[in-house]
Amino acid sequence: MLVIENCRLTWPDFAADYSLSVKAGNLCAVIGPSGGGKTTLLHMIAGFETPQSGTLTFDGQNLLPLAPAKRPVAIVFQDHNLFPHLNVTQNVGLGIRPSLRLTEGEKMLIEETLQAVGLGGFENRKPGEMSGGQRQRVALARALVSGRPLILLDEPFSSLDPTLRRDMILLVDEMRRKRPVTILMTIHTPEDAAHVADQMAFVADGKVVASGQPAEILNSALAPRIAAAVSNS
Amino acid sequence: MLTLRLPHPGTLVAFAILGLVVGGFIALATFDGGTPTLFSIGPYLGRVLAFSIIQATLSTVLSLALGIGLALALVRRSFPGRGIVLAALSTTMVMPTIVAVFAVFAVYGRSGWLSEGLAFFGWPGGITIFGYPGILIAHVFLNAPFVARITLDGLNQIPAEHWRLATAFGFTPAQIFRHLDWPVLRTELPGIAGLIFLMCFKSFAIVLALGGGPSRSTLEVAIYEALKIDLDFGRVAWLALIQLAICLSMTGLLHWAFTRPPVGHTVRSLVRRPDAGNRRLKALDSIVLAIAALFIAPLALSVLTGLRNIPDILGADLLQAFFTSMIIAAAAAVIACLLALALASAARRKRLVLRSPRIAAFYDFLPDTLLAVPPFALTAGLFLLIQRSGDPSSAGLILLPLINGLAAVPFAYRFVAPHLLTVEERYGRVAASLGLAGWAKLTIMDWPVLKRPLAAGFALAMALSFGDFGIIALFGGTELVTLPYLLYERLGAYRLDEASAVGLVIVLVAFLLAHISGRLSHAGH
Repeated sequence: MLVIENCRLTWPDFAADYSLSVKAGNLCAVIGPSGGGKTTLLHMIAGFETPQSGTLTFDGQNLLPLAPAKRPVAIVFQDHNLFPHLNVTQNVGLGIRPSLRLTEGEKMLIEETLQAVGLGGFENRKPGEMSGGQRQRVALARALVSGRPLILLDEPFSSLDPTLRRDMILLVDEMRRKRPVTILMTIHTPEDAAHVADQMAFVADGKVVASGQPAEILNSALAPRIAAAVSNS
Repeated sequence: MLTLRLPHPGTLVAFAILGLVVGGFIALATFDGGTPTLFSIGPYLGRVLAFSIIQATLSTVLSLALGIGLALALVRRSFPGRGIVLAALSTTMVMPTIVAVFAVFAVYGRSGWLSEGLAFFGWPGGITIFGYPGILIAHVFLNAPFVARITLDGLNQIPAEHWRLATAFGFTPAQIFRHLDWPVLRTELPGIAGLIFLMCFKSFAIVLALGGGPSRSTLEVAIYEALKIDLDFGRVAWLALIQLAICLSMTGLLHWAFTRPPVGHTVRSLVRRPDAGNRRLKALDSIVLAIAALFIAPLALSVLTGLRNIPDILGADLLQAFFTSMIIAAAAAVIACLLALALASAARRKRLVLRSPRIAAFYDFLPDTLLAVPPFALTAGLFLLIQRSGDPSSAGLILLPLINGLAAVPFAYRFVAPHLLTVEERYGRVAASLGLAGWAKLTIMDWPVLKRPLAAGFALAMALSFGDFGIIALFGGTELVTLPYLLYERLGAYRLDEASAVGLVIVLVAFLLAHISGRLSHAGH
């Protein structure tokens, strides 16, 4: 279980104060207006931003003193997830071992995971030879092979077209049924995730304004603000 | 019915430039110089070529080593004054070579700071800078900051996500270098290395002043000596022909390997590099920064000592030289801007309207070729052309702005071309539907967007031409004196105090023009 309590971060022009808990094994969709602090929330969990106060624990372990590499967290960004000079296997392999000295067993695991995300046979391709959707699937595969129990997806499919986006979200859903992982995913269009997410959190002005069942959130008094956030971005 | 249509001005310009280069080439190739044959000048040519290649290779290697080290140290470290260092790196772009020659004399020369410092500690003295030491110092002084600047721009393009991933994966400093820095360096290096090699290979002022002997010449210097001192046109023709052939084929290679240098600002990526805290790297970077500072700072500062000598040089000579330089620079800038504008609009027409990217790529390539055209070889060719049909004594007045202007076309082109493309992409269809074409299109659609970059290109072309000590060495004399020529004269007479003052004036004007150019090009964004 991921528990965030009163984590405060301040900048000259922005302040955030997050409280949120996500049950182990759940998929939580994070929605809200752009500039409202969705990405900052994920960056804080990953360790790129340090809160001045508050607590952040995962399965009872305090994450705050840990360096990003030591946290049980894998992250996928909207773009630039892959290193252009490395092939697909190497890019995924970085999630296991940055030195890229991979054992035969690890190579097998990479191959299987690539097959699972529908990229069997792409092992030796370079990112430049793939489509945006394929690249994001490689990044997803890397998060999965890393064996880290908490996966953060920061607008992972926003640059893809609507059909592809829905397919990718279904893929994420399928993956988490094979292996128990907790997922936080920021997303632009709430309806894409409504049917797969266990939980939905609305983040605005640096706060988790509401969190609960997707249907609950989408039909709450927040509905007009959610609609405004979607149409404005 | 056949109608006669006037070709696009850009097409005419392209043919004119090709005509100049090819015409010069043919004039050289067909010149009947009588006695000298390639065989008779063979041993001399071999020596010159060997020297050119060795010094250019050494200059390139040293410039790359220092420049890349400096870029990595600057991108990993922050310290007070870092902003000033970054700004100073860009200025060497317009640092005139003849001023760099002065700086080498002032710091490493017979009575320079180094010998005086060593004498103070009881060293008997006797450092000679002529030959390799002086040439390498000057070339590295001019080129290492350029390498650092381009490399920094490249390193700053690494997306923030990659730094976050490196942090998240716990990359070691070696892995960071391998996966983040090295891929950038690998893509930038061949182009920068090739460009610096080419520039050092056709180096003139530095080798002329610091070579110290006829065997230590580049081909450019050899052509100059044959033209000015020996009046051996047969040898000139051979040397220039070989120089043109080498430089043009190197540009072809370079263009194939070189992606267009980024014209970006140096902005620091907002993400902290995870290797910034590593102790060994801290020590390494400190050493590199110290070496760079000890090497570059005295040379740069030596120019400032000219300030106290300025009263001594104020006079009719200086004013006359100043105005001559200004007029030549302005004429060169007009030529550069007009040619760049014509070529860029032809390239745009080919690319966006006529959809022939291959021909457009040729127009883009042409300015880069001009960067490689060796001024003395080209001058020699044109000189022979003019000599056949006109009065060679007035040749200097035509050739100086022309050669300087041609050399500045690539820089002006880089300012103008991207804006022309953008404006066409945005308003091209509207203009076409309104029937705007030719002059009307230029004034109504292009000019508002174009005037700033064009002015920026003009100022930079002027800055480059103002400090240039190239073929003025050939035409300069009692009747025609530019400021760089004045500086060269003073250096030749070992009047370092006066030289320092002239050098300072040149640098101030060149930097001021470059600064105006920078302001103009960034104001629009």
